[in-house]
Amino acid sequence: MTAASQAASQAASQAVEPALAADGLGVRYGSFVALKDVSLRVRPNSVHAIIGPNGAGKTTLFHALTGRVRAASGRITLGGRDITRTPDDDRVRLGLARSFQVTSLFATLSVRENLRLAAQGRTPWGALAPWRRVPERDATLDTADALLERLDLAGVAGRPAGELSHGQQRRLEVGMAMAARPRVILLDEPTSGMGTDDLGAMTDLIRDLGRDHTVLFIEHNMGIVMNISDTVTVMRAGQVLVEGRPAEVRDDPEVRRAYLGNMITGDLR
Amino acid sequence: MIRLLERPIVHFALAAATALVLPLVLRSGTLASEILIYGLAAAACNLLLGYTGLLSFGQGIFFGLGSYAAGLLLLRAGWPVLAMLPAVALVGAATAAAVGWLSIRRQGVYFVMLTLAFSQLFYFLAYTLSDLTGGDNGLLNVPRPALGGQPLSNPWTYYAFVAVLFLGLFAALQRVALSTFGRTLLAIRDNEARASAIGFPVRTFKVAAFAISGAVTALAGALHAMLIGVAPLSNIEYHTSETLLIMTIIGGAGNLFASVLGAAFYLVAGDLLSAIWPRWLLLLGALLVAIALFMQRGLWGLIERAAALVAREPDPNAASADATLPEESRP
Repeated sequence: MTAASQAASQAASQAVEPALAADGLGVRYGSFVALKDVSLRVRPNSVHAIIGPNGAGKTTLFHALTGRVRAASGRITLGGRDITRTPDDDRVRLGLARSFQVTSLFATLSVRENLRLAAQGRTPWGALAPWRRVPERDATLDTADALLERLDLAGVAGRPAGELSHGQQRRLEVGMAMAARPRVILLDEPTSGMGTDDLGAMTDLIRDLGRDHTVLFIEHNMGIVMNISDTVTVMRAGQVLVEGRPAEVRDDPEVRRAYLGNMITGDLR
Repeated sequence: MIRLLERPIVHFALAAATALVLPLVLRSGTLASEILIYGLAAAACNLLLGYTGLLSFGQGIFFGLGSYAAGLLLLRAGWPVLAMLPAVALVGAATAAAVGWLSIRRQGVYFVMLTLAFSQLFYFLAYTLSDLTGGDNGLLNVPRPALGGQPLSNPWTYYAFVAVLFLGLFAALQRVALSTFGRTLLAIRDNEARASAIGFPVRTFKVAAFAISGAVTALAGALHAMLIGVAPLSNIEYHTSETLLIMTIIGGAGNLFASVLGAAFYLVAGDLLSAIWPRWLLLLGALLVAIALFMQRGLWGLIERAAALVAREPDPNAASADATLPEESRP
């Protein structure tokens, strides 16, 4: 990356208010420093990928951004609003939702109920009504049904989520994040463990999400990352190594060195 | 037939049938009342265990407090029954909300230990405050005042009063379990981390579940004190918590009527066996081991399996093609 293009991309990213930003973010697990001084700016309506070898701190970064772990230092802003101290469930209401690397569903509840709950999570206090029946038809169910169609899960809507195939569970996993109708959606390895047959549909879905959402995703499949990302951030050892457009990152000698000898799927062309 | 057994209206019908059948098959009105009272408390315990995934050893606190509150209000304050009941429910809800609020700060084993610790704390509190509670002797001479001119002194008249309250509260608990709130509790039971990640304030929901459970349990405790004319120290003892949990687990944690079934089984078996063999609790221990090992869905699970077998018989193809039993336990 040349100095000029770096300056240009920085100028461009500072011109618009980032949808999600981290400044000098640090996370410690005991004495282990999992994240150190990570700064990140995610532009609105962009698809932003985070890559890096295992243990680079990608998932920890997600945990910190969504509030699952508390940041030891630094600052997180969502659409300009400081959310560093906001609990995770409140961040959902502010428009930040995530999916998990290891599928995390309500296994005994139906697929439709999983999505209904995820949609209800946006307005959870409405559910704190022990006397109110679940209506036959309301906004949360409309959201759930629309997602069932979009994710091609309508055929298994009544089945317990725990009984779905892996590919279906991964789609539902992403759907759970979409159901909250977030502005910023964080996907932690959405294609993890997926067969090649399912990869295309997931890639299309993520690209499609980028049109009306801001997408930040962790991915090991370089083919997908290079194809659909607007920006790529490379992490290593809890720090940001390089950030830039896919082509810039691909040609960066530091990145090539970071990945040498590491197991990553897909082609780093 | 299987589908039928999943419907809440069927569970309510079964509860109503239980209330109607008990006077026909039991000679003791006291035992019949006890079954409904403990059935109610076990169903409230189930709201926490089966619906929210919280193994609370604190249910005895609310049961015992309900007994004491009822005794004090009737005996010392001279309140009428219909004013006493809502007050007792409030006491139960407030105490359960406080105990729950503190206990849910930890999860798993530590949560269970905290509820156990609170159970001990309240027991010794009741033991120490003997001016109020009668200490070791219990709060004696709890009256059973007439209700709108109708005396409740006859065991079967009192049973009718208990049965009406039982059905009303059972229906209310069902309503809770079916509400958006109850469905969220199931989500929390299945996967607490995800429930929080999709935006639910999990702690608030758990505290609310505690409050509802505590209110119903305290009402059961009040009815019990009126039944036996004493608010005994044993009602707030750890042993009551244990009994309620055992009833819930024997019945099966899947639905609310299963808890009534568990309570009925526990009390009737106890009544029959204790006459024959004073060490009958030994058998109960063996039964619990068997349930934990082989039938985690409890007595209700047995009924479901029996229904599945009956439902299959008219269809010879299904019966011959698949002779295995339906899955008995879900995680």
